[in-house]
Amino acid sequence: MAFFATQLAVGVPELAAERPVKWPKRTRTRLANGLEIVLAEAHSIPKFHGELVFRSGNSAAMHRAPGLAELTATVLRTGTKKRASRQIEEDLRRIGADLSSSAGADTSAIAFAGLSEFAEPLLGTVDELAREACFPESEFERERRQKLEEVKLERTSPGFLAGERLRKVLFGAHPYGTVSPSESQVAAYQREDLLETYREFYTPENALLVMVGDFDSAAMTAGIEKVFGAWTGKKPTVSASAAPANPRGRRVYLVDVPGAVQTQILVGCHAITRKHPDWVNLGVTNSLYGGAFNSRLVMNIREDKGYTYSPRSGVHPMRQHGYFSVSAAVRNDVVAASLTEIFYELDKLRSLPVPAGEFADAQNYLSGMFSMGLATQSGLLSQLATIAFNELPDDYLETYRDKVRAMTPEDLLATARKYLDSANMQIVLVGDRREIEAQARLFGETEIYGAQGALLK
Amino acid sequence: VNQAGSTNLKVPIASTTLANGLHVVIAPDSAAPVVTVGIYYKIGFRLEPQGRSGFAHLFEHMMFQGSANAPKMQHIKLINSSGGLLNGSTSYDVTNYYEAVPSNALERVLWLEADRMRALKVDDENLKNQRDVVKEEVRVNVMNQPYGGFPWLDMPPVAFRNWANAHNFYGDFADLDAASLHDVQAFFNTYYLPNNAVLLILGDVKADEGTALAAKYFADIPSGKTPPFADPSEPAQTEERRGHVEEKFGTLPAMAIGYIMPPRRTKDWYAMALLDQALHGGRAGRMYRDLVLEKQIAVEADGGIDDLFGYNGPTQLTTRIMHKPEISTDATLAAFDEVIREIQQSGISEDELHQLKVKWRSDYFATLEGGRGGYMPKYGLMHLLACFTLFDNEPQLVNTILDGFLAVTRENVQDAAKKYLQESQRAIVFRTPVASAKEAA
Repeated sequence: MAFFATQLAVGVPELAAERPVKWPKRTRTRLANGLEIVLAEAHSIPKFHGELVFRSGNSAAMHRAPGLAELTATVLRTGTKKRASRQIEEDLRRIGADLSSSAGADTSAIAFAGLSEFAEPLLGTVDELAREACFPESEFERERRQKLEEVKLERTSPGFLAGERLRKVLFGAHPYGTVSPSESQVAAYQREDLLETYREFYTPENALLVMVGDFDSAAMTAGIEKVFGAWTGKKPTVSASAAPANPRGRRVYLVDVPGAVQTQILVGCHAITRKHPDWVNLGVTNSLYGGAFNSRLVMNIREDKGYTYSPRSGVHPMRQHGYFSVSAAVRNDVVAASLTEIFYELDKLRSLPVPAGEFADAQNYLSGMFSMGLATQSGLLSQLATIAFNELPDDYLETYRDKVRAMTPEDLLATARKYLDSANMQIVLVGDRREIEAQARLFGETEIYGAQGALLK
Repeated sequence: VNQAGSTNLKVPIASTTLANGLHVVIAPDSAAPVVTVGIYYKIGFRLEPQGRSGFAHLFEHMMFQGSANAPKMQHIKLINSSGGLLNGSTSYDVTNYYEAVPSNALERVLWLEADRMRALKVDDENLKNQRDVVKEEVRVNVMNQPYGGFPWLDMPPVAFRNWANAHNFYGDFADLDAASLHDVQAFFNTYYLPNNAVLLILGDVKADEGTALAAKYFADIPSGKTPPFADPSEPAQTEERRGHVEEKFGTLPAMAIGYIMPPRRTKDWYAMALLDQALHGGRAGRMYRDLVLEKQIAVEADGGIDDLFGYNGPTQLTTRIMHKPEISTDATLAAFDEVIREIQQSGISEDELHQLKVKWRSDYFATLEGGRGGYMPKYGLMHLLACFTLFDNEPQLVNTILDGFLAVTRENVQDAAKKYLQESQRAIVFRTPVASAKEAA
């Protein structure tokens, strides 16, 4: 790598003076029924984007069955007291709208986008789905059978198998440790489970409505009040799950996929939530390590060694816990070599101060990317939803870049030492056991699983 | 004004052509201090050299490996450290390179793009490195992925007879291995010319400022001989074509059915675009509605036209179906045929046409704003402007093309369905799991 570092570009134009970012004006209100509302105007196109987020997802339904919140969200759009599935879909198209309903670990959400001129009918549909979905028996049965095929299919994707195993290793019996239901769990789903989940989760006290787009905020607030004002419902009671143990010592989990012509590497450890005071510092550290094209990991195992196409690292925050991961799909004969470099770069980050220039580059990258993310309606929506959901301060947008710039190389060293310990990283490898088992065993005690999840020998 | 809504589009556009033939298009918008820069070269994988399948894409990787004054890594480093993103992609008939950066980095981006248009500076080690990277890209996206390359790599050899349209666009590994530094330089010299490209600057820049900067950085790059383009036309198809591909990992049988599309910007082309929406427009589309929701034969049924605005040679309207293992291939195809027959015989109602047009307009606006994974401001507008410049020499089409779609009639849609959705004009690829009966370990 030193070879490249000595070759600098000649004659590069300096950066001009930065033009100021115009921070979008936000309007925050709360209806009497508890519905929290965040609006921001963005007049780039005559459309708007929105999300009705409920603060309960698959984790909160885990005591009934894994994936139940997801299926509830899927069946939600297939019928209401007023309209059948086909009518709903055609009416959405009639107003040029897109709508999706889904659930993650911590949330259930109805996301939508449409033409400004049809804001009222689109909000009306969102309200109807949130309040009056009726879960027709036949639609439930079809979606359940559809889900059965999906859960079989996802077990053939290396990315899914790696993610599933890592989550199990990091979070164990905690709801975050289960990312998808088994076939038998799907087969056992009952329509009543969905109705119960729907009644509990989809209430105004549990909801957050975020909208960004080409509208007048005052008029939109009035419109929302008119549509959602009569909705009632309490926040569900939340039962706390025991904190997952942080795995100590490095272990290897090999998921055997006979015939795989490549190995999916996924290495990870516990990290932090969005609300954690170290969030920004860990973000900069991750960016410099493997979060950007111009990062150490990418330069090393892609641009220098050619082991992989898309290596990356990331910090994944969930509401109660978070985790850090490094992923790379590499050719089978360089699994050990790739792991060696992944750990070398982690250890280097914990041992040697980052050169000032490289550090400034990482700060500039994150700072620029942040402004870029606000330049589209959907980008701004995603930022505002994250801020509101995590109850981050109102000035989060305005102050984020200052926090990035306030960080020092010493902070980075301390952050890497605190969070990125290669001795306690868990290693998941998805690939052909015959090709990679010997390489895997070099890195720790190794457990071997089948693609269906069973521990082999 | 159409009943499906007024388009009333006024995207401000300034365009010019430098003396060396480089087209320049500026679309100013000062709403955010961000600028998107793109360069499109009029060469894609369709017309890459025979015996060098996958070369256009491999070459795209080489464009990040170093130019005269910006050695390897510097291009990426200079964009990222300015707070920006960069990437490139290879398509059928164009290859693009693009950056989105805070607008104070505009000159830096233009300097970098001009430097690599002027002179690539790469060596054998760079080529070996990127050949390895590309092979892992093919493995992760195709060879080690359920339904990898389906149907975009499976369909061409079944549907087409001209090598240009029928070959492996990602590249046979033997061809990637055979690619030499000499090939890299020759490809660069032939196609990477200012007179075979368009430069686009969108966002926080004034029109005159953008034009002046384009001239400052690009005007002295010498033009070259107009590239010789091979003829991509196909011999007339007279009967249905079928092919079979093994699915190594997936659990569901799949099929893709593709019908030859009419040339861009013909009356039939506009009608086919709306017909595509009638068939494939999500859960309201006829394919999903009939096959997944109502008959419950399929788990997935979608489709579309690959790069509607950017294809410049034979292409297809394609439906992609993954069906339940207990339903036979014949029964699935029969259900598909029934959807096609229905629209040919009865056409679509005025109400359905109205829905399609409103949705089309809404989707078009969304394309103008974003369009590439949500992280790249104005990617969609950039792509449209580039295609309308390179293939039509008319970037202003961005403001008027929507009218063509909104003028389509019910008769147009039905006529197009009868004329183009014919068995003799289609090709079918079946992708069948090798181990559909394989049980859990």
